[in-house]
Amino acid sequence: MVDRNKLRETAKEIISREDVRELIGYRAGTYGFRARPAFVYDPGEVDQLIFTPACVNNLATYITLEEKLPVPRGQEPDLRKVAVMVKGCDSRALIQQMAENAYDRDRILVIGIPCTGVVDMDKVQARFPDVLGPGEIAQEGDKFVLIYDGRREEVPREELLADKCRRCRYPTPLVYDVLLDEEVAPFASDDYSDVEALEARSQDEKWAYWEEKFSRCIRCYSCRNVCPMCYCNDCILDRLRPQWIRRSVDISENTVFHVARAYHLAGRCIQCGECQRVCPVEIPLMELNRKLYKDVEELYDFEPGVKVDAPPLLSSYRPDDPEDFIL
Amino acid sequence: MAAKKLSKEKVGEVLQELSKFRLITPVKSDDVVIFREIADPQEAFLDYGNSTVPPKKVVFPQTETLFRFTLGNPELREKNVEEEGTTVIFGLRPCDARAMSIVDKLFSWDFEDPYYLKRRELTTLVGMACVQPPSINCFCTSLGGSPFGKEGLDVLLVDMGDHYLFQSLTEKGGRLEEMLSSYLEEAPAGEEEKASSMEEEAKAKIIRSIDPQGIPEKLPSLWEHPLWKRVSDSCLGCGICTYLCPTCHCFDVQDEVERGEGRRARMWDSCMFCEYTLHASGHNPRPTRKERTRNRISHKYSYYPKRFDVIACVGCGRCINLCPVNIDILEILEQVVEA
Repeated sequence: MVDRNKLRETAKEIISREDVRELIGYRAGTYGFRARPAFVYDPGEVDQLIFTPACVNNLATYITLEEKLPVPRGQEPDLRKVAVMVKGCDSRALIQQMAENAYDRDRILVIGIPCTGVVDMDKVQARFPDVLGPGEIAQEGDKFVLIYDGRREEVPREELLADKCRRCRYPTPLVYDVLLDEEVAPFASDDYSDVEALEARSQDEKWAYWEEKFSRCIRCYSCRNVCPMCYCNDCILDRLRPQWIRRSVDISENTVFHVARAYHLAGRCIQCGECQRVCPVEIPLMELNRKLYKDVEELYDFEPGVKVDAPPLLSSYRPDDPEDFIL
Repeated sequence: MAAKKLSKEKVGEVLQELSKFRLITPVKSDDVVIFREIADPQEAFLDYGNSTVPPKKVVFPQTETLFRFTLGNPELREKNVEEEGTTVIFGLRPCDARAMSIVDKLFSWDFEDPYYLKRRELTTLVGMACVQPPSINCFCTSLGGSPFGKEGLDVLLVDMGDHYLFQSLTEKGGRLEEMLSSYLEEAPAGEEEKASSMEEEAKAKIIRSIDPQGIPEKLPSLWEHPLWKRVSDSCLGCGICTYLCPTCHCFDVQDEVERGEGRRARMWDSCMFCEYTLHASGHNPRPTRKERTRNRISHKYSYYPKRFDVIACVGCGRCINLCPVNIDILEILEQVVEA
């Protein structure tokens, strides 16, 4: 567990630096056991910062989500760093973003948090629907401890742990300037059994399965917006001329949207699972992403966002590529 | 009209009877509750909290054809909403029905929207009171609603344990009651009083609240207030809060043409999307999420009440429950009050 005082002291030191503009971390949410992103601009604001297993959001998204206004004539652009707190999975998003030249390394200051797993907030909510809170979650050994309204309840870690954490191979950030705690050894491995189960289905079964899911899609684009790898300034989904994907919501357009979204993440998705977490109609988007992730790992022995300075898979070329699948 | 009793065993038969119309009920799709047309009464999932997507989509579909055309031919083949037929929404929550009566004001204002209004005319709303408020973030009572609210409904059902108390509230409701009379019985004496005390109990279980007094007048004075930047810092700019809002009603109109055949379609739009106010020139008067968040709140709590004398929010709590980054409209409103 990250020590709260150390977290706040470090944050205070960082946000006091002249070359740092803002610090993105976590703070308590407005109800239940939620935590939410916190934006800190001033050393006086660091006392709200926390890190607990409720800190599910991948904050790397905010680095590329910023909407920059034109700099007024006679003024200089603000080039100070953005400091961002990342878990192991989130740090991979930073590596992949930088591999794609989304921004330079010296634009960010990375506060790494070795992570022992976060909760699935839907499961917490389902179990404690009436808690207005604010409640706190901590991890103690193989249990999550939930503290609320002067009460303390222990729940086996397995019952509330987020799915992505069950197969996390990189709990310690792979890029950081400051590490807030000792490294956490990988505690899980990925056997892709879920993807294999999906692959084993017949085409008709797969279609029926995805038709049910995609037909629920309301195209709120939360999966795109929350994705740290979806940062095109001009997304094809918003284009009107040519209009690649219609705004009409029906099974045909929804399917095109989801297939396009998944393919654009091949060799890029770092499995933070945010798309699936935020989907209001619970489309299991990670199943699509993980199929592509598995293919990329098997075909190219490549995992995105694990090696600083590794070129992106789909924009790199090796003269000795066998290319036997083409001929 | 005196209230009636509908025993739970007969609900299946009632739904069967109603399935001669376009019958819409909550259904479970995996673990998500949505409103959908059903063919088989078994599909109805009435033991639910509230649906993820509000039933507004029945009267204001996410995508609807306005007319069809063939390129080179000036004839427009207009959509006849009448063909969709009489519709019954069975089992919606009072907040969502109240939301429809709020949105009616917009669609029957300076231009009477024939598509929406025809659909409203064809639709009968059978509501189900919230004996238990569905979520910790419900706050309907702050905005003039109630977990047993009747506004906008034609029939209100109250779950009394082994049966529903069936109260018809309008002419349409009366017609429905007549049609279903063979399934209805006399309500036991004192049931309406019992329902009233259940309503008070349900209201008492709603914990979160806001006093909207003064907010509509105050909002315009906070145009440049720093709170907008702070409350929108974490906003992702997705459409969850608006698409899942039962009163949000913005739409776009686009032509879709394929191989010479086309249609003009209306589809939901969201003021939280970056291209929502993007001009053809490239200028965007709401260039960041700060301006968009300010607009979302101001539209609901200032512009709408200014024009229609009612706040365009029913306190269903969906935008709070489903926001990926826990942006909380009640917290924003508290900051507006304190600002």
